[in-house]
Amino acid sequence: MRVRKIISQSTVDGPGNRTAVFLQGCNIRCAYCHNPETQAMDDPEAREMSVQEVTAEVARSIPFIRGITVSGGECMLQAGEMTELFRAVRQLSIESGHPLTRLIDSNGTIQFAEHAVLMSLCDGVMLDVKAWDNAVYHRLTGAKDNSAVIQNMEWLLRHDKLTELRIVCLPGMVDVETILEHIAKTFDSIGKIAPVRLLRFRPHGVAGELKNHPMPTDEQMARYTALAQRLRLDVSVR
Amino acid sequence: MRFFLYFCTLNCKYCKYTCLMSDIYSIVTSRQLSYEQKVVALAHAAEDTLSVLNVPETTRRYFEQGVICNLNEGNAPYRPRYIMPDYEKAVRQGVKFLQLEPPRDLDELLTFLQVLYRHVPSITTYPVFLGDIDRLIEPFIEGLSDDEVKRKLRNFFIYLDRTITDSFCHANLGPQATRAGRLILDVDRELEQAVPNLTLKYDPAVTPDEFAEKAIYTSLCVANPAICNDVLNSRTNDRYGISSCYNILPIAGGSYTLTRLVLPKLAAMTDDLHDFIERLLPDAMQCMADYMSERIRFIVEKSGFFESHFLATEGLVERDRFVAMFGLVGLAEAANHFAPEGKKYGSDPEADAIAEQIMQVIYDFSGRYECPYCEIAGHRLLLHAQVGIDSDHGITSGIRIPVGDEPESIYDHLRHSARFHRFIPTGCSDILPFDITGKQNPAAVLDIVKGAFKLGQKYVAFYASDSDLVRITGYLVKRSEIEKWNSGQAVLQNTTQLGAPTYASAHLANRKLRGV
Repeated sequence: MRVRKIISQSTVDGPGNRTAVFLQGCNIRCAYCHNPETQAMDDPEAREMSVQEVTAEVARSIPFIRGITVSGGECMLQAGEMTELFRAVRQLSIESGHPLTRLIDSNGTIQFAEHAVLMSLCDGVMLDVKAWDNAVYHRLTGAKDNSAVIQNMEWLLRHDKLTELRIVCLPGMVDVETILEHIAKTFDSIGKIAPVRLLRFRPHGVAGELKNHPMPTDEQMARYTALAQRLRLDVSVR
Repeated sequence: MRFFLYFCTLNCKYCKYTCLMSDIYSIVTSRQLSYEQKVVALAHAAEDTLSVLNVPETTRRYFEQGVICNLNEGNAPYRPRYIMPDYEKAVRQGVKFLQLEPPRDLDELLTFLQVLYRHVPSITTYPVFLGDIDRLIEPFIEGLSDDEVKRKLRNFFIYLDRTITDSFCHANLGPQATRAGRLILDVDRELEQAVPNLTLKYDPAVTPDEFAEKAIYTSLCVANPAICNDVLNSRTNDRYGISSCYNILPIAGGSYTLTRLVLPKLAAMTDDLHDFIERLLPDAMQCMADYMSERIRFIVEKSGFFESHFLATEGLVERDRFVAMFGLVGLAEAANHFAPEGKKYGSDPEADAIAEQIMQVIYDFSGRYECPYCEIAGHRLLLHAQVGIDSDHGITSGIRIPVGDEPESIYDHLRHSARFHRFIPTGCSDILPFDITGKQNPAAVLDIVKGAFKLGQKYVAFYASDSDLVRITGYLVKRSEIEKWNSGQAVLQNTTQLGAPTYASAHLANRKLRGV
């Protein structure tokens, strides 16, 4: 696998304390990306690691973690390797007697429905909904449209694999209100829900035009939260 | 200048607080000591005019060399150092001596406790243990609204903080989740006080995650409560409480004495590990243990405490539930002294192996020595990782890893702790400052606690990098109060005066920050 870095103790990549594996390479170019160094498919600072090597790193975090999160870049670009990693981590759980959940952090551009084995080994996906309106999405990510993301959201919800929806709040660049309204509609029509997390845009690590862009104010975040609550979403802010 | 905690006639070479008779005049006329502090200092000075303990020449020399230190317990002990009253029993039966009937409602309970605390002696003259505070309160809040209870608790906690002006004072929570426990955590977070210290007894099989997470969230806001491994610590004592800094002691008992072995001072006497282990260490331990026995005999046989004090005569403490805490400090520096050049305790296997060898010798001695009047401990000494005092320089608390030498990985740090905590039954702890992101995910911090406790780590305390309250060695002090004291202003709490120099000299601001 092309691994950018492994963080043995992460409190920000899913529920509880987790070891987070960041893979190298992304298929979109978000303007607010806080680790743009992971975007290129290859990079001198990324290293090729075997599934066994990554699993051994994970093993060193037992019994302090409740699981692993694979992130990126876009980790679904290495879906095959990730399947093997999840299989190995499941085996590690069994051998160590310490349960480890396996989560994916994804931009949702690649169809989960087409990776049945991976999804059977995966406990859930934290999905970025970057924008709802196609033009907004295109301007933010450079990608054509977000239809794949929406399909994925629905598929994951139906299959009880949607751990969390994430929205990076950046007024002017992201149509946060529209996203929230459509998420609520989708939940209603499918009859299932998932937690929604509002992430406050932070310029830390960001390169390019948004490098010095201010963070949304507390008042702005409070307005988003209030809307989400009115829509009866299970919302939290970070 | 502080007179009130440091009186002693042993003339330890390294002690900068040696008492002279002329100091008594200074105490009386001091402008820096409060009235209460003068009274305590004078009592201490009076006690130290006596010479009633038989201290052999060899032992006296160890004192002078700073190898053995009695932590200013005084020359003629007239009460045990740490007392852990059975408050539940007191609430059930009332206290005749204090003319207190068993309380019938929350107001009566809180008044009852305030009065009783006022009369619990200890080395600091303040109560070091306030009981399982949630369990005491829980039966009295039925039918009262959260707001009502919190209003009363707020006043109660303000009273404690302003009258127990020494943060070597501890109340306990858990392991069961209770409504009282939750409300206490809420009030604690609102008030941001140094007193009382709180510790949650945590048992993953009993304490719900939600309650433990609330406790951790609170500690990342106000550095309180600490978390104690209930599974391991309840194996040592049937009914235990956490007192003072993090002392694990039997309820309805306590500890007669805490004397400490300053390992780096002893290690400095030889460069030969074999000589240290075979000759010096056994000799110093024997002297210290005999000295502790001497103190215990005086308390039990001469002082009259157990015949006359109401806590004893009314069965709120029992003589046979007191133990003797055999303290040690600076294991890290002692191990580093014998380790090959550049190898360090905490990160190097060779230094750690030496430390373990030293600990094993001390542990074996503590389990062999016949200590008088320590029935509950099987007449054995119980080891304690002593936190240090403000005059220690270059000596790390108990068995901790020195600030600056901490392993890169928090997991390695906690594994290391677990390896050494297993030797220590009466208190040892780690203090981990967390990045503020920890506050947003207390569940993650709880996962780390669960892992550490599973491996045998016994007690851990957190605070957030942006918190005003910080844990110094075990007790809490406000950084803002330290600044006040450092700029020459008077402060309410004795422990601020202790904490200010320790925060600087032990480089506590440089503790390795944890979290992502």
